[in-house]
Amino acid sequence: MPLNDDDFMRYSRHLLMDDIGESGQEKLINSRILIVGLGGLGCPVSTYLAGAGVGFLALCDPDRVDKTNLQRQVLFRSEDCGEFKVSCAKDRLKALNDSVNIEIYPRAVDTEILNYHYDLIIDCTDNLPARHVLNKQCSENKIPFVSAAAVGWEGQLIGFDFNNYSSPCFNCVINGQLQDPVMNCSNSGVVGPVLGVIGSLQATIAIRMLLGYFQQHGEMQRYDGKRGQWLTMTSMRDKACMVCSHEL
Amino acid sequence: MVKVLFFGRLGDFSENIELKVNCTEIEATPKKIRSLLSEDNVNLGKQLAAAQVLVAVNKVIVGWDYPINDGDELAFLPPVTGG
Ligand SMILES: [Zn+2]
Repeated sequence: MPLNDDDFMRYSRHLLMDDIGESGQEKLINSRILIVGLGGLGCPVSTYLAGAGVGFLALCDPDRVDKTNLQRQVLFRSEDCGEFKVSCAKDRLKALNDSVNIEIYPRAVDTEILNYHYDLIIDCTDNLPARHVLNKQCSENKIPFVSAAAVGWEGQLIGFDFNNYSSPCFNCVINGQLQDPVMNCSNSGVVGPVLGVIGSLQATIAIRMLLGYFQQHGEMQRYDGKRGQWLTMTSMRDKACMVCSHEL
Repeated sequence: MVKVLFFGRLGDFSENIELKVNCTEIEATPKKIRSLLSEDNVNLGKQLAAAQVLVAVNKVIVGWDYPINDGDELAFLPPVTGG
């Protein structure tokens, strides 16, 4: 679909860039992304991707807005308490950019949701079992996957370009057989802008993947907001991985 | 000698901790270094024994039995799973 007059105005700051331009913007408009989790990460991720003009966003989260979310989940307002996060998010994102098509699922991610076609799946969940479900789906169907997490002052980010590489996968790095750590945002707390930092990077990686600028398959970044430190590490294929070892 | 880095909140448990080992002599691995560190520092030991702690040698995420050589950098990373 060629860009219309409104698109030329709305996306002018992309169009001014040689490495995005009209063809890049068209790629974004023609892309379909599933965002799983509309909490502290999903809020900035969905906001930036709707703003960027990604043509279709599927939003999946079973939770309703709670007062304790408002310290960090920047899409929601006090009067949203009690409403489904995905429906509030849809209203806000449509107000930001009405040309984005948004499908909402006020439930935990399931096979029906996963089986639609997506160009990219973004993990903004708060638990390890869900991350492994998404990793398996993306690995088996060669869907690029961006996973992130945060707790306390710390954030973690890792992207997998399963279009071009079959391993390592998330399960090679963080084994699904191990138990979920006891610490999460609900029982240990989290600093709001740390989620903003990591969520913004997730959205950046998503845009890079859609435009073909992502070269760091399996590279993990860690951020320590308390000490202002970053650590970047590569990961290796686990030959015994239950998810990706048969893909080779 | 191995340079040990305690990332994130592990830094709260590892102040003034020094480790002097000859990696070849002890056939060092992240697991061995962890148990040496835990002998003298109970709280740090508890943190390092938690499920999902990651280890990286020279900025590559590796398993707990990965061989460590003198001059390597070993990083311990606490689990991060919320969102
Ligand atoms: Zn794997």
